[in-house]
Amino acid sequence: MSRAHQLKISVAGVRGVVGEFLTPNLACAFAQAFGTYLGPGPVVVARDTRASGEMFVHAVSCGLLAAGCEVIRIGIVPTPTAQIYVADIRAAGGIAVTASHNPPEYNALKLFNSDGLFFNRYERAELLDLYHQSEFRHAANEEMRRVVIDAETAPERHMARILRQVDVDRIRRRRFRVALDGVNGAGSRMSVRFLRDVLGCELHAIHVDPAKPFPRDPEPRAEVLGELSELVTRVRAHAGFAQDPDGDRLAVAGETGRVLDNDDVLALAVDCALRKKKGPVVVNLTTSSVIDDIAARHGCPVYRTPVGEANVVERMRRVQAVIGGEGANGGIIFPEVHYCRDSYLGMALLLERMAETGETLNALAAALPRYWRRSGKFPFEHGRLGQMMQALEAALPCARADRTDGLKLMLEHGWVHVRASNTEPLVRVSAEAKTREEADRLYELAASLR
Amino acid sequence: MARPGATLRISPVGLRGIVGHGLTATHVLDFAAAFATFMERPGRVVIGRDPRVSSVMMREGVTGALLAAGHEVIDLGIVPTPVIQHAIRQLEAAGGVSIGASHNSAEWNALKFFTRGGSYLSSSQSEELLDIYHLRKFRFAGHDGTGRRKEEAGAIEAYLDALAAEFPLEKLRRFRVLVDCTNGTSGLILRRMTERFGLQLILINEALEGRAFVHEPSTTKKMAELQLAPLVRTVGADAGFLFDIDSDRVTFATEQGEAASEELVQVVIADEMLERGCGRMVLTNLSSTALLEEVAARHGGQVVRLPVGRQAVTDALAGYSMEQVAVAGEGTGAVMMPQFPYVYDGIAAMLRMLERMERRGRTLSELIADYPAYSILKGKIPVRTRFVPELFDELEQRWPEARANRRDGLRLDWEDRWVHVRVSQTEPVIRVICEQRGGTPRRLFDAVMDLVRSYSE
Repeated sequence: MSRAHQLKISVAGVRGVVGEFLTPNLACAFAQAFGTYLGPGPVVVARDTRASGEMFVHAVSCGLLAAGCEVIRIGIVPTPTAQIYVADIRAAGGIAVTASHNPPEYNALKLFNSDGLFFNRYERAELLDLYHQSEFRHAANEEMRRVVIDAETAPERHMARILRQVDVDRIRRRRFRVALDGVNGAGSRMSVRFLRDVLGCELHAIHVDPAKPFPRDPEPRAEVLGELSELVTRVRAHAGFAQDPDGDRLAVAGETGRVLDNDDVLALAVDCALRKKKGPVVVNLTTSSVIDDIAARHGCPVYRTPVGEANVVERMRRVQAVIGGEGANGGIIFPEVHYCRDSYLGMALLLERMAETGETLNALAAALPRYWRRSGKFPFEHGRLGQMMQALEAALPCARADRTDGLKLMLEHGWVHVRASNTEPLVRVSAEAKTREEADRLYELAASLR
Repeated sequence: MARPGATLRISPVGLRGIVGHGLTATHVLDFAAAFATFMERPGRVVIGRDPRVSSVMMREGVTGALLAAGHEVIDLGIVPTPVIQHAIRQLEAAGGVSIGASHNSAEWNALKFFTRGGSYLSSSQSEELLDIYHLRKFRFAGHDGTGRRKEEAGAIEAYLDALAAEFPLEKLRRFRVLVDCTNGTSGLILRRMTERFGLQLILINEALEGRAFVHEPSTTKKMAELQLAPLVRTVGADAGFLFDIDSDRVTFATEQGEAASEELVQVVIADEMLERGCGRMVLTNLSSTALLEEVAARHGGQVVRLPVGRQAVTDALAGYSMEQVAVAGEGTGAVMMPQFPYVYDGIAAMLRMLERMERRGRTLSELIADYPAYSILKGKIPVRTRFVPELFDELEQRWPEARANRRDGLRLDWEDRWVHVRVSQTEPVIRVICEQRGGTPRRLFDAVMDLVRSYSE
């Protein structure tokens, strides 16, 4: 593991390996910078199920209180739930203590503004300056506020918003048999309640104990979801769902246990959303062209942004998008609920569509236009990416280039995208085409040039 | 010595400062992380706080740092400092932290650290803690080794059990006692004592306050005169007591409505313990009343004079067995007894005084009338640190006939009076304490103050 990867303080926030690198001292100071930036007012603090989360919640509370903020602690909840809570109670901002899909030795602080949205890049740069300058607000005793605990209402607020968007009775009537892998994450309790009690499914859940460690690689990819696939086939479930530790990402398995491609899941969600209401769609550059095809069926435009939830959300707000997301990451963003990646909304939309059509998940997915995709990652070396981009463009002279995030080259029947990861010292390569041969050719061309 | 107007003091005694204006969250995290590192093996750590609002911020920081090092945090909530120390012993914890600024005004806060058994840190332990703080090489656990926090609500009852085992509470029910809690933690304990043991305690300023206290939380005779003494007569109480915020100090007024010198708390308790044959040694500091020597002599006891500060007493106590010691304390109203193993405990001190009244069948004013009149004058002057040694030299030369003691600043002793001039550990001042038997040492005090003042800016 490289040194840079063990602790990263950047415009994305703070993330690092707990203990030696990410310390309570650092979290406290960063929270105080954040509290200084927000000004006095309530700040929501949530966390995922990582064992180190409890410790960081206290350190972060200390920094916020020292800056004169009131601290509202909502316990272990998914990140989208925390974001919705911030917006609901009109807090000054929020902090989620979670390293999302990163391995358990990591933790991080995700920061939200008063709308429950990720900071835009200018706000983040300003905050980072404040942190580096250590120009914190130091409240005196008579200016200090208190800690308020609300461990109950956040999941209810979140679910209530989703229920306004889907036909719950229709879903309940079908009594879907659903398998769930909660990765013992922040959504464990809420997911059980949502699927079993609210949506009336016959639920077969594994790894829904928030007190236990992650049972698998926390990023919900097909390769690590064997247990879920097996459960789906064993109980003959209509669908299988898997979350990441902070409940923003969703992976979906069809009735045969096969884990669907995340791009296809997003495409199904886009289809559901556009059936409800026509309007623009926003996805990142690495998301599949299947989105363009689906949007075209509804006569809706697609906008593409650099990778990163904040980028997608920013564009969605500008163009008044109906839905958005990031294909490969399993993130579905539905503004009618909130501008956040939300695995719960994803589950509800898919179940509603299944109820509406009577189709199986595999059948719905099979009706999507077929693309072949390949992606991979390579260690990042300083100075290598620029040369790789130059060589790739020279090798594909006829392609249309998009340079907003690394280099994406678009051809008649496919595209290839190379970029540096925002969160890890990696170069990511993705390619997509109508045929497997073309997708392989584009991917291998890019890979050979690194 | 700190700059005049200093708002932060990091010393072997711990961390103390004005919150937001000297004392910051960073200091709290760093100091707590140093303490977490100092307690080598991950273990159980008891914490508690006073009612100041800033104590919540400090608690969060202390909790975060302790958990990060893998300690189990047991949070007692708002409790007196002696209860924290009692709980450390009772729960067999590895240590503890008291969050609160005791007798300082509301804008201040502080961290006090305790080790196994609820003891104060010795000098060498304190020095080590300070070294770790300065080095900032904190030992944190990995992601799977961080500690858990839990709340413990039973500490106060367990403490009351201990009080009931030591004091004849049944007999003390006959006294009507007025107590000024100064909006601090003593009210929590005393209210329960009325409920559980039927003590007749009339509590004033009982409500916990976080932002401002009804009056300065100092346990001085002046405060007792202003706040307590007049009311004792009005309500017809047998005694009046006044506590600081974290209940480690106490002072009192008699049933006649006379505020007593805070120096007498230690004297009355020393008298009681020596008379009962519980130990022979009285440990006190150089600034406390000479009446102690006189009272000790009546019972064949012996007074050990130490530099001012908790540290010196803690270090000295290590050299005596519990059976040897009658009492240890200071003239500020902070007293510890071997029966409550060496914890400054204002509540236990109050009960001991009531017990003496009961056992001797005498009123508080009668008990005090036993003692010859000593008059003590206390003053403080900001001074330039640089010339402190010269100041001491000049003082010594000015009164060559007096016996000089340089263990802590300078103490000059005559047959019937003494003066102690020293640099404060907690404030950027020189303190002058002057006492005389049978009269007010006004001339000596003024002369010394004038000389000290000539060194100030």
